[in-house]
Amino acid sequence: MTSGRGRRWGRGPGTADPPLGTCGHMCPERERTDRERQRRLHRFEVLSGTERDSLPAADPQKAVKEYSRPAAGRETPRPEDLRPPDVLFQTVAYLVDRVVPRQDVCWGEVYGYVFDRLRSVRQDMTVQRIGGKLCVAVLERTLRFLLYASYRLRGEPPQVFDPDINSVHTQECFSWLLETYRLGDYDSEAEFQSLFILYNLGSMKALHYALLLSDHIRDSPCMKSALAVNRAFTEGNYVRFFRLCRRLPFLASCALHRHIGHSRRCLIRIFSHGFSSRNCRYPLERLVDLLAADDWDSVVELCQKHGVTVTNKMVGFQKANYKELGPLSDGPSHVLVGHKQGDITVSAIIHGN
Amino acid sequence: MAHITLNQYLQQVLESIDNREGDSCAELVSFKHPHVANRRLQLASPEEKCQQILEPPYDEMVAAHLRCTFAVANHDFIEAYKYQTIVVQYPLALPIMYAVALDLRIFANNADQQLTKKGKGKMGDMLEKAAELLMSCFRVCASDNRAGIDDSKKWGMLFLINQLFKIYFKINKLHLCKPLIRAIDSSNLKDEYSMAQRVTYKYYVGRKAMFDSDFKQAEEYLSFAFEHCHRSSQKNKRMILIYLLPVKMLLGQMPTVQLLRKYDLLQFSDVTKAVSEGNLLLLNEALTKHEIFFIRCGIFLILEKLKIITYRNLFKKVYLLLKTHQLPLDAFLVALKFMQVEDVDIDEVQCILANLIYVGQIKGYISHQHQKLVVSKQNPFPPLSSVC
Repeated sequence: MTSGRGRRWGRGPGTADPPLGTCGHMCPERERTDRERQRRLHRFEVLSGTERDSLPAADPQKAVKEYSRPAAGRETPRPEDLRPPDVLFQTVAYLVDRVVPRQDVCWGEVYGYVFDRLRSVRQDMTVQRIGGKLCVAVLERTLRFLLYASYRLRGEPPQVFDPDINSVHTQECFSWLLETYRLGDYDSEAEFQSLFILYNLGSMKALHYALLLSDHIRDSPCMKSALAVNRAFTEGNYVRFFRLCRRLPFLASCALHRHIGHSRRCLIRIFSHGFSSRNCRYPLERLVDLLAADDWDSVVELCQKHGVTVTNKMVGFQKANYKELGPLSDGPSHVLVGHKQGDITVSAIIHGN
Repeated sequence: MAHITLNQYLQQVLESIDNREGDSCAELVSFKHPHVANRRLQLASPEEKCQQILEPPYDEMVAAHLRCTFAVANHDFIEAYKYQTIVVQYPLALPIMYAVALDLRIFANNADQQLTKKGKGKMGDMLEKAAELLMSCFRVCASDNRAGIDDSKKWGMLFLINQLFKIYFKINKLHLCKPLIRAIDSSNLKDEYSMAQRVTYKYYVGRKAMFDSDFKQAEEYLSFAFEHCHRSSQKNKRMILIYLLPVKMLLGQMPTVQLLRKYDLLQFSDVTKAVSEGNLLLLNEALTKHEIFFIRCGIFLILEKLKIITYRNLFKKVYLLLKTHQLPLDAFLVALKFMQVEDVDIDEVQCILANLIYVGQIKGYISHQHQKLVVSKQNPFPPLSSVC
């Protein structure tokens, strides 16, 4: 009994050697034939010419292993169902280069498909306990994909894009990636550490983690600018915050996007108190500029929702009229995010070129 | 004691068990006691001897303890930790549990360092496993409803919680503290535990409140810990102050230099001076100068929050200099530029002022047309203690 209990804390089954995959395709043969038979192929995976057949055939060049939930009692995966590191990377490259750029379908469907297939790539990595360079390459691409999607699909109905689910996966990938960074030197570390700060703006935990990083990461330009954005945010200096946001590159802006609406509302709130006077007015044009808003109308709408009056392009802040609102869905931010993409393709962004 | 034979040692253990002397038995399995340095007791396989003299489960527990002393003598904390996990799984008298739980945590910490050095596993793995074990001890204690309150193992809860706090703070998993705090809050023994344990508890709960930005709570807990900490424990009082000072400062109370000197905390003196004077430049310098100390203590981010108060104190000076209730915004811009705030302009001045008005540190309003801050004729800069 005792020795048995003692063993639990020593070398348990968890420390046995992980299985090594031998599957040479993006989708194991067994799964491909199963899904073919069950008609569970995604339309991105069907062999062209067989779409209208009663039983569409799978294209081995296109089928990708789907994510399946680990359940109690499920046998440990067979090596032929697991993809080794090089096949995993090919799978990610295929998804990023061939599926992500598709224009023929709505991007929500692309997102749903790629999201699931990247998840299964991570699952294969976990089972085989793959770390190091390959792991970092996969996680970085996954994160760029998730961050980009969080901007592109904002405001879509939850069945197309659920921000909460996307955020849970983003945080999981971040913590896995940051953990992997601790065990080696990677060129892109500073970039992703800064994305982590921007994604978790105002979080003491994230910032405390950043303080403990080595100097060359903390002193990198992207980290410095992320920390400056964060400082302006936590100090409540939203004027500086939006100024700094304007200068952030595209992907950093995507990461930060979910805090923009909140920050705009905070600025309206503190201005409602700071400029509160019956006789004084504040020029709308200036407010639009400070908020880095896309157009005047959106600012007028935001003000009115909060009980702030706008007449003749002048804003009348009065703290007595100010109304607190629950969370609002955030509109597009062309100035702060969208236009920064320029003519770079989404695939290039996700690869980090 | 240091040179007794194995037989003598086991006889002493037996006696302490038979006589129900928990404290002396605890000493005999504690690494604070000199017997652990006794070469004659450091044995690789003491099981048989232990079985001859002691009844189960004591034989197994003491055997594991002796193997542990053997491992520690060889500086192998990974082994030591392994045997200590066997020692702690017997829910024995509380003094014994205190002794072995404390050693478990220390060995886990050392094992972590040894494993990380060898490149096997990452920092905190062993501590996390130790926490799981201590949690199972905790469950035993918390669910001891059958014994009368005087004999109840519930008296062991706070000790274990404090050990768990130490681990959770070290491995940065503060969220795990929450259920433990709830367990103590709902316990009718919470004010009955020993003062030493309560001081430790309040110290950790206070630190947690600080990280959750609940500064009023943090001040309450940490003040309790500071006031009730034993006067001879200067080191502990200093540790409490490291967290109490920033919290008090955020609430507007600045420490005296005498206090800082007494507790060897002069790292705070420039910060204090900077905040009171409204000297942003000095504040930034002081934070940079002692950055490593402040980060290691986990208070750097809290001290950065003092910036808002520093703005307030700086702007109050502007007001006192100009002696008017309608203050030109330019004057504040000049003050900020004098403090070398990077590319600041009038819009930012307005935002900083609006923020101070919003949080109640300035009474007044900004007129954009006249580019002026109009402050209240009465008490335009209310005392911080009334605001926060």
